[in-house]
Amino acid sequence: NPAFFRSIFRTLPLLLVLSPVSSSNCTMGNRTTEIRVKYENILSHDIDELVNMSAEYRDRCCKNKNHENSKMFFCNDTQEIESLQSMACNMLRFFHRQKISKDFRWKAALVSCGTLQVLRCKCERHKKEK
Amino acid sequence: MLRMTQTSTVLSLFFLFLHTTFGESGCTSADGDGTFGDDEPDNFDINCFSQLEFKGSYSSLTCNFTELSPHNTNYTLSLCTKEDSNNVCFNMEKQEDAYFLQFVDILSKKAICMDSETKRRVCRSLVVTDIVKPEVPFNINITYQKEANEYLIHYSTPHSLKKYLQDKLIHQIAYRQEEGTWKTIESPFLQVKLLGKKLGNDASYEVKVRSQPNGDFFKGTWSQWSASKTFRTAREQDSTESYSNVVLVIFSVLGFMLSIVMIVLIGTFWENRIKPAVWPNLSDHKKTVEQLCKKPKNNFDISFNPESFGYVHIHKVDGIRAKAELENFLQLSTAPEKNLPEKFKNESDLKMIPVMADKSNTDLSVTYGGIWPAEALHKLVGTSQFPVIEANCSSMPKGLKSFLILRDTQILFCHWDVAMFDVACWRRIAVPRQHSTFSTSTQHHGNLQTEET
Repeated sequence: NPAFFRSIFRTLPLLLVLSPVSSSNCTMGNRTTEIRVKYENILSHDIDELVNMSAEYRDRCCKNKNHENSKMFFCNDTQEIESLQSMACNMLRFFHRQKISKDFRWKAALVSCGTLQVLRCKCERHKKEK
Repeated sequence: MLRMTQTSTVLSLFFLFLHTTFGESGCTSADGDGTFGDDEPDNFDINCFSQLEFKGSYSSLTCNFTELSPHNTNYTLSLCTKEDSNNVCFNMEKQEDAYFLQFVDILSKKAICMDSETKRRVCRSLVVTDIVKPEVPFNINITYQKEANEYLIHYSTPHSLKKYLQDKLIHQIAYRQEEGTWKTIESPFLQVKLLGKKLGNDASYEVKVRSQPNGDFFKGTWSQWSASKTFRTAREQDSTESYSNVVLVIFSVLGFMLSIVMIVLIGTFWENRIKPAVWPNLSDHKKTVEQLCKKPKNNFDISFNPESFGYVHIHKVDGIRAKAELENFLQLSTAPEKNLPEKFKNESDLKMIPVMADKSNTDLSVTYGGIWPAEALHKLVGTSQFPVIEANCSSMPKGLKSFLILRDTQILFCHWDVAMFDVACWRRIAVPRQHSTFSTSTQHHGNLQTEET
């Protein structure tokens, strides 16, 4: 019945609209230069500071040798922006739950938020640390 | 069927519209272009500047109104940030004539909004990194470098120990001479040099410094001026003083070169000329005699005792002919028969046996007594050519001195009567004793003592 196929075809855009957004919600566009400049002048210094502070908490997060944690901070090739978004959101969630010093959590949240801000991304289903 | 198709089409179009409008673009503003509040032009005059890392990780924003409200209306300034489709605003704290707020995020796009009782909320976009005002430099030091005649001005900035503005500033140094006009120079470094020749001599100068973002990423305004520092320039060196310095240098170089030359000369001529002149070698008589003397033959009598020369032929010569004979002696020629002087004849009982000289033998073949002329003695003895060994013999009569003269290979034994000024010499002749037929005589006056054997 040709009417049946026409109805399915017209329903298809609806399905596409209603389907959950599985791709990154970062604002795409040719912003490579802007991202690089903001990273070099601001974000890189905060990351260096966070790395120095993390030296005091070496292996504390990996006491249980849970390798699943390493997957939270894995960078996929050709998906750099998505990987950075994932890392920033995971770091927000991860260190929010651990009993770590306030200064370190604060610095981690600053780096996460700065990363998301530079990439213009948001974390799905979770609110960022304010 | 047709109804279902129409319904699904409407629904799909509706949801598609919703997805577009409520998507990630985050357009929640009324005007739909992402701006805050009313999109009015900048009709409120405020001046803001930011200070990065003013206290730890916190940055600050300071704003003030350039024109006071005529009605002295209370205004509220707030800094708004867009988050998750919502505007998050923070009210700024009013401090005297300025509004102040500290925050952490300097990356997100912000806006400054003004609220008043009479007017609607007015916002203006603001980029924190474009209105940076650095902190004031401090610790100005001036060092004079005499050799180069330059003044090194060094200063410090609090941003050297911070993250964002380290090496991202440009500094302006202003200097003037005693209430004169200010002159400025700019440098991205924390020190500059002022040439002494461009400054006055023995004058007082004032220096101050301020900073500004270099504009690569951070932009903004000049900081406030640092505290002034004064210094006094050096007095110009007199021409005579500089001239004396040059002369001193020249003389120092010449003196050094002269000392080098002297050292070389002393080292070259030390052994041959200097040392012999300063420390001459003194002759050692014993060594000299040993060098001149040959090893004595066996049975060679060396004795100062006149008695040991008893077997020696004694020849007395005539005093008148002494001089000629002396000359012959000196010339190593055949000596004629000598006769004793008259006084000796009277006082002695001598018999003379002439001994003919062997012409082939250059040795002395005659002896003779009598007054030994000074020049002859000098000729014979010389200064140091023929060593003379004076002997003291206990058996000798008093007033009689004996000495040995070495000449060539001959040893002459001589007696010198001090009182009579007479000298008599003997030479040993190698004649077998059994064949010797000579007579001796004794003279008690002290000159000669001979024995007849």
